[in-house]
Amino acid sequence: MAQKIIFDTDPGIDDAMALFFALASPEIEVVGVTTVFGNVHTELATRNALALLEFAGRSDLPVAQGAVRPLHLPFEEPATLVHGQNGLGEVALPAPKTSPDPRPAAQFIVDAVMRFPGEIILAPVGPLTNIALALMLEPRIVERVAGVVLMGGAATVNGNVNPAAEANIWHDPHAADLVFTAGWPVTMLGLDVTMAVQMDDAYFAGLRTSRLGEFIHAISRFYLEFHRQVHGLDACHTHDPSVIAYLIDPTLYTVEYGPIRVVTEGIAMGLTLWDRCGKWLRPNAWTGRPAVGVCTRVDAPRVLALFHERIVGERLPAQ
Amino acid sequence: MTRHFIIDTDTASDDAVAIVMALQWPDVEVDAITVVYGNMPLEVASANARYSVEVCGKETPVYEGCAKPLLRSAAYADWFHGPYGMGKLGQLRPQRPAAGQNAVEELIRRFRAAPGEITLVTLGPLTNIAAALTVEPRMAEWVKECYIMGGAANCVGNVTPAAEFNIWCDPEAARIVFHSGMKCLMVGWEHCRFDAALSDEEMAYIRSFDTERAHFALDCNSFALDAGRRIQAAAGLMLPDPVTMAIAIEPGVCTRRSRHYVDVACADELTRGMTVVDELHVTGNAPNIDVCWEIDKPRWKEILYQTLQ
Repeated sequence: MAQKIIFDTDPGIDDAMALFFALASPEIEVVGVTTVFGNVHTELATRNALALLEFAGRSDLPVAQGAVRPLHLPFEEPATLVHGQNGLGEVALPAPKTSPDPRPAAQFIVDAVMRFPGEIILAPVGPLTNIALALMLEPRIVERVAGVVLMGGAATVNGNVNPAAEANIWHDPHAADLVFTAGWPVTMLGLDVTMAVQMDDAYFAGLRTSRLGEFIHAISRFYLEFHRQVHGLDACHTHDPSVIAYLIDPTLYTVEYGPIRVVTEGIAMGLTLWDRCGKWLRPNAWTGRPAVGVCTRVDAPRVLALFHERIVGERLPAQ
Repeated sequence: MTRHFIIDTDTASDDAVAIVMALQWPDVEVDAITVVYGNMPLEVASANARYSVEVCGKETPVYEGCAKPLLRSAAYADWFHGPYGMGKLGQLRPQRPAAGQNAVEELIRRFRAAPGEITLVTLGPLTNIAAALTVEPRMAEWVKECYIMGGAANCVGNVTPAAEFNIWCDPEAARIVFHSGMKCLMVGWEHCRFDAALSDEEMAYIRSFDTERAHFALDCNSFALDAGRRIQAAAGLMLPDPVTMAIAIEPGVCTRRSRHYVDVACADELTRGMTVVDELHVTGNAPNIDVCWEIDKPRWKEILYQTLQ
């Protein structure tokens, strides 16, 4: 039976890639898409989510609009340098004909999780604000989700906003700390593994045989240029699609366990600090906190092959 | 014309009196009561709220919300309100259960359904309201006006020298509410002190009404009366939530108010929850909420008496 997920997203070029990856994979059933600020403002995230679903012929899926700002901090600017003004590398999609679900995202998450106890994995690939808000609305979702598999953080490598912080966690470190310590099963796909999987120009060219692949190729132009300029890399990191790869086949990743706390102030704000030791002379902020599954290694060629297979195979409704 | 209220409360002693006042006021209809942790743990506050409704013979729905602050652990005020928060009444067992829906959901749903028509009165930590405003920022425009019992406008606090209890409990929530754009009046705890407190004679007068509500209002405050005298050098029975409710019922009870930039200290323990009011507009920041500076004390007490008679 397909794994039900709620895809929480701020599309975003790699968000779009991840969403199509999920929609094209029979192992996954997307029960809804929830939107959040981050790569773009929330309203644009919602518009993009609707437009992407329409492009994929899946307008039947609900989209619920979420938080417009972090729990406590002000929202910094959206990442237009990474994803373009429109969030999709300046590739235009037709204005969506469908409208979002009337419920706020956090409410949508609570309703879905309580309706399908034990069946839903929350798959956030943006700041964790909606997930933290859902926890506030209904703390019992901790016992009723099948898990949380998220893109964010950096357990053993530098961040990508600054040496400390990865962007999703940095946007709302307070929400992230709540999510990591809530007591539900969390699996983190951080920069440790997402930067280790790289898609270059030739790889994107190989996707163009399908409609989804052609679109991904188009939006990857802007993304590649950003990676060339800022990282000096002739390829893109594979951030958000990593969550879907893990959900399809966890054996692609090596997972190690230990509590994570998020630094919420100071120069290291947004740092995901992972207790890999567990034995300390005195109790500390990690003591007694639940272990998080941290993906530390990845079989990159297999991830790339899986993504290629699904995007080129394109198991979607006929247009 | 009937005015509609929603009350958000961490029900213990003075909250209970404020609830009774709103339920008894002729042209006010309380649509719902939403409960938050605060003075008491959530389930105790919920039982106290439901019991207060039953004392008035009403069936107002009571919804339970957040059990702890947005980002911090919960702390309660049993040291002030007594073990179950209702003085000599002890543990209360209301007949009716809480409504099934979550308070935060219900706040959003009700304000969305009647934009600009419902007044919000908050008597506890602002966690439910902040959660609702973060989930649904448009709620700020849908609330007709919000009367907030909380803070201390540039004066001494009651839980620390800097802070009043409700704001101290969840300063991050208060900050969200204050900066939400919602039309707010902050009624600090200072307005229940000194002459605004009930003297022995005034309490005896209330007792002479000999109604169930009058006895309830005094009995549920027995522990708080002693604690106030012992800890805060109170002149008598201090009732911050009922003062706020009197203003919500009759805004003229607040005789001097002005709009200021108001922020909440969140960063360190010394000033945690301090409501910093830019009284002289020295920051140049745009004013965000109204602050109550003076109240009509005789009138506040008349309103109280009327609802207990």
